[in-house]
Amino acid sequence: MIYSSLLFIYVFFPFSLLAYYVTPAKYRDVTLLVLSMIFCAMNGVGFLIFMTVYTAMNFAACHLVGKYRKNKGMARSIMILALVLDISAVFVFRSDFFIAYRELLSIPEEFFPVGISFFTLSAAGILADVYTGKTKHNRNFVTFALYIIFFPRLIIGTPLRYSGFRRMLHSQHTGLADIGTGITFFVKGFAKKVIAADSLYALYSASVSVDIGEMPVLTAWLGAVSYLLSFYFTLSGFSDMSAGISRCFGFRIPKNFNYPIFSQNVRCFTARWHIQASQWFRQYIAKPLYSISDIRLYKDIVLIAVGGLIGFWYTFDAGGTICGIIWGIAITAETYFIKDKHLQATGRLYTFIIAVICTVFMAGESSAYSIKYLFAMIGGNRVLADSQSLYLLKSYVLILIVSIYTAASFFRNIIVRSRMKKVQNIITALSPVIVISMMILCTVLISYRGSSEILLLKM
Amino acid sequence: MKNTVNKITAVIMLIYISAVMFFIFFGKSSGVPIYGDKTDKEKAFSLSGIMNGKFGKYISERISTDFPARNHMISVDSGIRSAFTENIVNGVYVDEKMLLNAEISDRGTTSENAAIINRFCSEYDGTVYFTAVPTSSGVYDSYFPEYLRKNTESMQINSLYSELDENIRDIDAYNILKMLNENYIYYRNDTKWTSYGAYCVYRTVIQKLGFSPTAYDKYTIDHVADDFRGNLYERTFYSDVKPDIIDIYRYPDGAEILSCTGCDNDLKSFSGELYDKSLLESGDMYDMYLGEKRPLVKLRTTVNNERKLLVIKDSFADCFIPFLTQHYSEIDVIAPEYMEGSVEKYVDPANYEQILFLFGIDSMDDENLFDVLVTPLEERKSE
Repeated sequence: MIYSSLLFIYVFFPFSLLAYYVTPAKYRDVTLLVLSMIFCAMNGVGFLIFMTVYTAMNFAACHLVGKYRKNKGMARSIMILALVLDISAVFVFRSDFFIAYRELLSIPEEFFPVGISFFTLSAAGILADVYTGKTKHNRNFVTFALYIIFFPRLIIGTPLRYSGFRRMLHSQHTGLADIGTGITFFVKGFAKKVIAADSLYALYSASVSVDIGEMPVLTAWLGAVSYLLSFYFTLSGFSDMSAGISRCFGFRIPKNFNYPIFSQNVRCFTARWHIQASQWFRQYIAKPLYSISDIRLYKDIVLIAVGGLIGFWYTFDAGGTICGIIWGIAITAETYFIKDKHLQATGRLYTFIIAVICTVFMAGESSAYSIKYLFAMIGGNRVLADSQSLYLLKSYVLILIVSIYTAASFFRNIIVRSRMKKVQNIITALSPVIVISMMILCTVLISYRGSSEILLLKM
Repeated sequence: MKNTVNKITAVIMLIYISAVMFFIFFGKSSGVPIYGDKTDKEKAFSLSGIMNGKFGKYISERISTDFPARNHMISVDSGIRSAFTENIVNGVYVDEKMLLNAEISDRGTTSENAAIINRFCSEYDGTVYFTAVPTSSGVYDSYFPEYLRKNTESMQINSLYSELDENIRDIDAYNILKMLNENYIYYRNDTKWTSYGAYCVYRTVIQKLGFSPTAYDKYTIDHVADDFRGNLYERTFYSDVKPDIIDIYRYPDGAEILSCTGCDNDLKSFSGELYDKSLLESGDMYDMYLGEKRPLVKLRTTVNNERKLLVIKDSFADCFIPFLTQHYSEIDVIAPEYMEGSVEKYVDPANYEQILFLFGIDSMDDENLFDVLVTPLEERKSE
C-alpha cells in the first residue's frame, strides 16, 4: 500500500484519522504506532517483522551506546556494529550485487522493504547523535519505534532528526484547520504524482524505446527532460503527500523541495532539492569530514565525494554516482568561476542543462548507454527530429508546458507574491473547490489500476 | 480567513472521503474486473500471501473493483488521457476504428514455452499441428505509433515456429489474417478474432489436417448479439468505438453435435453446449462459444469417420472449434489454463491420431501456462 492508492486514501486514511482522534491524547502515540504497524503489515507481515527487528536492534544499540557513553571504545564499537548492520541491510536489498545473500537468507524475490534508504538515514542519524551526545537516548520504545516507522513518512518521506521528531510529537497541533491544511498538501502531492509524474514517465518510456544509435536530438531531449521532471514530481509529490498526512496528525514536517528545477545557479538548485536529505548528508558526512582540514582543495574534494555519495544513495549504481560527482564538480566550478550571484536567464539555462546531463546518468541503464545518450542529445546521430519525435512532442506538449510551469515558481508567485490582495483572496476562497476537484480528478486517473506505483527508483 | 477556508476544506474533504468509503463497503459493486494478474484469494490469505503482502494487494484490488461508479471513472479517464497525452489509455491504444492492446511484452518466455511443447510432443507418436494466432495488435500494428512497432507479433510467431521441432507442423495464420485485414476478422473492442477471422484460418488448417473446408456459402450466419464489449473496452470504457457483433455459423445440412460434455478438475461431467446463449447475458459474451470455461470439453458428432482429434487451446480456439465439428466424430479439447495436474488425468494423448495446438500468440508470454504439459511427465520419468 502506498499513499497514492485508493486503498490508502479512501480506507486506511479515514480509518486512521478516526482512530487517532477518538483516542485520548495520552495514548495517541500508541495509536499511531499501531496504525503504522498495520500499514507495514498491509505491505506484508514479512515487512512488519523486518521493521520490528530493525527497530528493536537500533533501539537496543542506541540504549547501549547511551549507557556506555563514558566508555568511548565500547560505545564506538556498538555504534559501528549497528551502523554496519543498518548499512548492510540497505546494500543487501538495494543492490543486486548481493542477490546471493538474499537467497542465502531465503528472502523471497519480491520482498523489498520500501523506504529502506530513508529510514536507514534516520536510524544512522540517531545512533550518531546519541554517540556524540547531541541527543539523549530516550527509553521510550514507542517514541523511538514511531520515529523509524511512522507511516506518513515511511515511503519516500522526509528524513528528520530525532530531536526534531520528538519535539513535534510532544507539541502536536491538531484540529480541523490542520486537517484542512494537511489534506490540501496531500492533494497537491497526489496531483504531482498522478498528473505530472506518471504522464511524464510515459513520455520518457516512449522516448527511450527508440534505438540509441538512431535517436534524434528531439527525442533524446524529450526523454531526458521528461525523466528529470518526472523524478522531481515523484519525489516532491511523495514528500507533499507525506507532509500532508503528517499534518493531519499534527506533525509539521519541514519543506523538502522548494522549486529547484529552474534555479538561478547550481548552488541554489542544491539548496532547494531534497532539502532534508541533503541536510542529513551535510550534517553527518560532510561536516565531520570538513572539520579535518582547512585546505580548500581538500574541501572541494570532500564536496565532490559527498555529491557522489548522494548520487549513489539514489540509485545504488555507477550512474547515480557519476551524476553526483558531476553535480559536485559543477558546484565547485561555480564557486571558482562564476562570481555574479544574479545570473538570471543564462544561469537558469546552464543549471537546467547540468541537471539534464546528470539525469541522463541517473536514468541510464549503464554509463556507456548514458554517454551514447548524451551523444544523441548533441546531434551525434545526425537526425534532428523524425515523425516519431514530433508525434511525442505533439502528444505531450500540454503536459510538458503545465509541468514546467508548475515546476518553476511562477504559480506560487502568483499566490504568494501577488500584490493584488484580491487575487490572493479569490484563490484562497476557491481552494476548497480546487482541492476536491483535484482529488476527484486524480482518483479518476488511478481508477483503472487502483494505485499509482511507479517510483522510478527502488528507494 | 485562511483558517476558516482550511476548516471548510477539511469538512468538505472528510465528508467526501467518508461518503466514498461508505459506498465502497455498502454500495453496489460496479463489478468491473481488474485487468491483468489478479491476486488469487486463496493465495492471498495463505501464510506466504500474508507474509509477502499478497493479501494487501488482494484487498487493494477488491477496493478498486468495488469503487463506486468505477466504469464511469475509467471512461472519463480515457477521455482525459487521449485528449491530453497519447492515445494510449491504460495500456490500450485508442483509435477511432478500434481498440488495440498496446502493452507489448518483451516476448521473453517464447522459447521456454516452445521447449516445453517440444518435450511434450516428443512423447507422442501421432501428428502434431501448431497454429499461433496473432492478436488484433499483431494484425493492425500499423495503427500504432512507430515506437510500439518493434518486437512485433509476427516476429514472435516466426521465432516460435523456428524453435518448435521439425515434426511439429506449423500452420501460418498471421499472413492469412494480415491479407484479409480489411474485413471484420477481429473484434473492435477485444484482442480476439471474430468467427469470420477464425473461419478464414480454418480453411487452411483443415486442409493441412487432411480435409476439404466447408464452403462459406453453406453456412447460415446468425447475429446473436450486436453489443459485445470485450477485454479492451473493459480497460478503457471508451464508447466511441462501435460495439461488436457476435456470430454463430450454422451448417444446416452438415453434421450435428451428439453431445458436448464439459469436465471439471475432479473429472465430474457437465452437459454443455457448443454455443451457450445463456452466457450472452453474462459479463463476457465471448464465453458463449463452447460454454463455461472448463479444463476438458468432449464433443461427439454425427460424422461417421471415427477420426479423433485432440485440441490443446486457449480462448482463441473457442470460436474456431465449431468449424472442426464437421470433420471429426470425436474432438476433445483441453485448456492448460484451467487444468490442474497432468494431461493424462484428462485424456490419453496416445488415443488420438492428430493433436492441434491452437493458441493466441499472447499466451506464449505466459510463464507457467504450459507447465501442466510436462511436469508430471518428468515426475513419471524420475520414478
